[in-house]
Amino acid sequence: MSIGLSLPRADGAEKLSGRATYTADIALPGMLHAKLLRSSHAHARLLRVDAGRARTAPGVHAVLTRDDVPEGLMPVYGYFIKDQPIVATDRVRHVGDIIAAVAAETEAQAVAALALIEVEYEALPVVASIEAALAEDAPELFPQAPIGFVPAYGEGARGALRPAKNICFEFGYRMGDAAVFDRCDHVFEDEFRFSRMWHFHLEPFVSVADARDGRIEIWSSNQNPFPLRKELSRIFRMPENAITVRVPYVGGGFGSKNNCKTEPAAVLLSMLAGRPVRLALTLAEGFLTNTQHAAILRLRTGVMSDGRLVARQSHIELDAGAYSDASPLVAEKAGYRIPGPYAWEHVESLCRCVMTNTAPAGPFRGFGGTQATWASESQIDMIARRLGISPLAMRQKNLLKLHQAYMPGESGVDSDMEDGLQTVLAAIHHTPAPDRGLGFAVGFKDGGGVNKPAQARVKVSTNGDVFLGCGTVEIGQGARTAIPQIVAEILGTSATRIRVAPIDTDHTPFDQGTNASSGIAVMGQAVARAATAVRDQVLGFAAAQMGTPPETLRLEDWHIIRGNERLPLGPMIMRYYGGTGFEFTADGFFKPDSDHHAPLEAQCVYWEIGWAAAEVEVDRGTGQFTVTQLVVAGDAGRAINPMLCRGQDEGSAIMGYAQAMFETMRYDAAGELLNGDPLHYRVPLAEDLPARFTTLTLEQGHGPGPFGSKGLGEGAMLPVAAAIANALEDAVGIRITELPLTPERVLRALDNLEKATA
Amino acid sequence: MPPETIRFTLDGRAAAITAEPTEPLAHALREHCGAQGVRVACSRAVCGACTVLVDGLPAASCAMFLWQVEGCAVETVARLKAHPLQEAFARHGAFQCGYCTGGFLMLAKALLAENPSPSRAEIAEYLSSNICRCTGYSVIIEAVEEAAAAMRAPA
Ligand code: FES
Ligand code: FES
Repeated sequence: MSIGLSLPRADGAEKLSGRATYTADIALPGMLHAKLLRSSHAHARLLRVDAGRARTAPGVHAVLTRDDVPEGLMPVYGYFIKDQPIVATDRVRHVGDIIAAVAAETEAQAVAALALIEVEYEALPVVASIEAALAEDAPELFPQAPIGFVPAYGEGARGALRPAKNICFEFGYRMGDAAVFDRCDHVFEDEFRFSRMWHFHLEPFVSVADARDGRIEIWSSNQNPFPLRKELSRIFRMPENAITVRVPYVGGGFGSKNNCKTEPAAVLLSMLAGRPVRLALTLAEGFLTNTQHAAILRLRTGVMSDGRLVARQSHIELDAGAYSDASPLVAEKAGYRIPGPYAWEHVESLCRCVMTNTAPAGPFRGFGGTQATWASESQIDMIARRLGISPLAMRQKNLLKLHQAYMPGESGVDSDMEDGLQTVLAAIHHTPAPDRGLGFAVGFKDGGGVNKPAQARVKVSTNGDVFLGCGTVEIGQGARTAIPQIVAEILGTSATRIRVAPIDTDHTPFDQGTNASSGIAVMGQAVARAATAVRDQVLGFAAAQMGTPPETLRLEDWHIIRGNERLPLGPMIMRYYGGTGFEFTADGFFKPDSDHHAPLEAQCVYWEIGWAAAEVEVDRGTGQFTVTQLVVAGDAGRAINPMLCRGQDEGSAIMGYAQAMFETMRYDAAGELLNGDPLHYRVPLAEDLPARFTTLTLEQGHGPGPFGSKGLGEGAMLPVAAAIANALEDAVGIRITELPLTPERVLRALDNLEKATA
Repeated sequence: MPPETIRFTLDGRAAAITAEPTEPLAHALREHCGAQGVRVACSRAVCGACTVLVDGLPAASCAMFLWQVEGCAVETVARLKAHPLQEAFARHGAFQCGYCTGGFLMLAKALLAENPSPSRAEIAEYLSSNICRCTGYSVIIEAVEEAAAAMRAPA
């Protein structure tokens, strides 16, 4: 029995002793150290990049500028749209854009050489916000259309490249007839603003590349080794079997360690130098590399007087930053999730990715769902209060019921929404008092990625020692602990007997990536199938040896159990296969079925839900408020390892809490990031926790994953900000529609309220 | 700057590094002594991932010069062997990606040396000199509480 046990983490011995190997610890013989020269301008034409003096500087082995990119490469990357250059060519598009790179014997020599590179800029007008980029007279950031494609969508959904100036992609979804708005008793229009955070993964971006002799070997702090291999193959025009990606432990990512970051420059420098190259960014450079999406969300919602929701139109603009990165995918999700977990007659969403001269925005825990939940769950509360209905009754009336389809052609929701809400409300001990308030919200997203394939391999040696090959990166979530528990359960063995093979794309079975809370619900299914196939092989083998039907046999601790008999497998295997023994091996595969009726071309694997209730106390004099209680719940379906579930929910909830309270990137109008360093950018510390902070892992049992499991890790972040904003209105009657919920904003809202009621 | 030989003890053993004395301590420990458990994240004395103990007091080794530890006792996470803190961290799942963990263990060790019976609030305050982006801290605080109790218990 392994399922449901809070087994200690399998990586504990390495991580608690400090011996765990991360990419930063990889050193190869002859390895050089690389550093990057970054743009000081947010938007400029590059008139001159002269690296002459750097090339002859002490210790320098390779310099990479636009003049050094070999012919025949495709030196741009991105997800749907290939618009990000390895080094800038004609212009720079954000402060921190990469202009050049140097590989030298030491990092200090590389830094010294960078200072010798002369760059002449011709400043161009800067658009540092969504509004500025959409202004009539805004400069066009990409005068030539980059290469890109629109994926296939199913019923009701559509996408378009460059629908307008400075918009790289838009996603639209439509269901039902807009005429229903005419029947609504009320139509409410509200606008919400969502702030932008940096992931602040403690392990900075780092890669070690050895690109010699027509091969690329790369160690990288990257959560998607196979997509990385494919992207490198495309950029460098090399076959995928000439590229090996290895991923040791990853020191946190929260979405940022997707696709290409440090990898292409490290590879190219290694090719130019003929030596292995390590490119390690500083933590501060991370702020310039990938961020969350700021957003403006406009909702138009039609309701009946009794609180029944009828129709919602939404218009979302995401600040995509300087390059498209994963923005089209985030737009897809924000646009698709904005209706929230409610029943509607008509939905029409439009989500556009607006290019600006700020750092590229990309995947971030929540992936569009955080933006959508912030707006949607704020507005549901606002509407309830306007109609004089309790926010709870409003939700009870409209929440999707268990198994009810989210949209036509889509899968049914697999959590009991109301049960989750009642659970957090029961766990918060709220007693009304002046200036104290209670708020709650339901976070909602599809989980497990779109149409995401995963493969796994399970091998068992003669003595019952198990090997698991699976591409899920151990990034902190506990994949190397929980996934083996699934194997152990199926093979009737102990999880400690399972060794997870290191990730190496030459050997590891294919996986689309460690993202979208898919480790348990998607990879877990592939792993379960592999383990089941191995178990069946073993039972079949034993049945043949024993001359008995396999159905009469069971596997336990590498013994065959038949009735009261308990036969060790080792000797039986050696009798047949010889004294050197054998390995039973099987692969498992999982992918949701493609389905053109589903809006995103495959039904969602599972629904990742987070419920939050928050109690606040407001000081009217200063606008300061404290979250006295925060209760957050996620639905694990079935908790494979409850301790790990709690870890995912708590970490996620605190990220949402920080976004609600204080954490935000601040840009000025010139595109300069004002707090882009670890000292000035505030992340939560232990002393910032709410006085009472509880997370609950529900096990509602409806997940599609092994043993009824679902994924966790993002859901708990989604509802926190809206729950706190809703609590503020409950406490003192103010509504703040912009994050973070700073004391200044509270004070201003209190003043406005006073003026309005005076 | 010419290299100098800096002598100190590292995790209980005599150590000597011949390097530029202004080299950051974290870098020197990692490069010259193989102290892999000293993790470098912010390099700015903000996050505490690089926390080591210098003569028993926690210090951000990324923001110290090598010369500053001349004659000192330097302890890294490698010093801990089946320590109650490690056991409690394992039981509570007080780490995820593990990048902050060595630093938190050393910080907590210093706390418990200074105050063997810290309250929850005292633990939270003390641990607030380090950053963990993964866990949300509650489990770390619980682990430190439990380790404190275990260390107070008569053997
Ligand atoms: S790396 Fe030293 S404090 Fe952050
Ligand atoms: S465990 Fe990842 S930063 Fe603490």
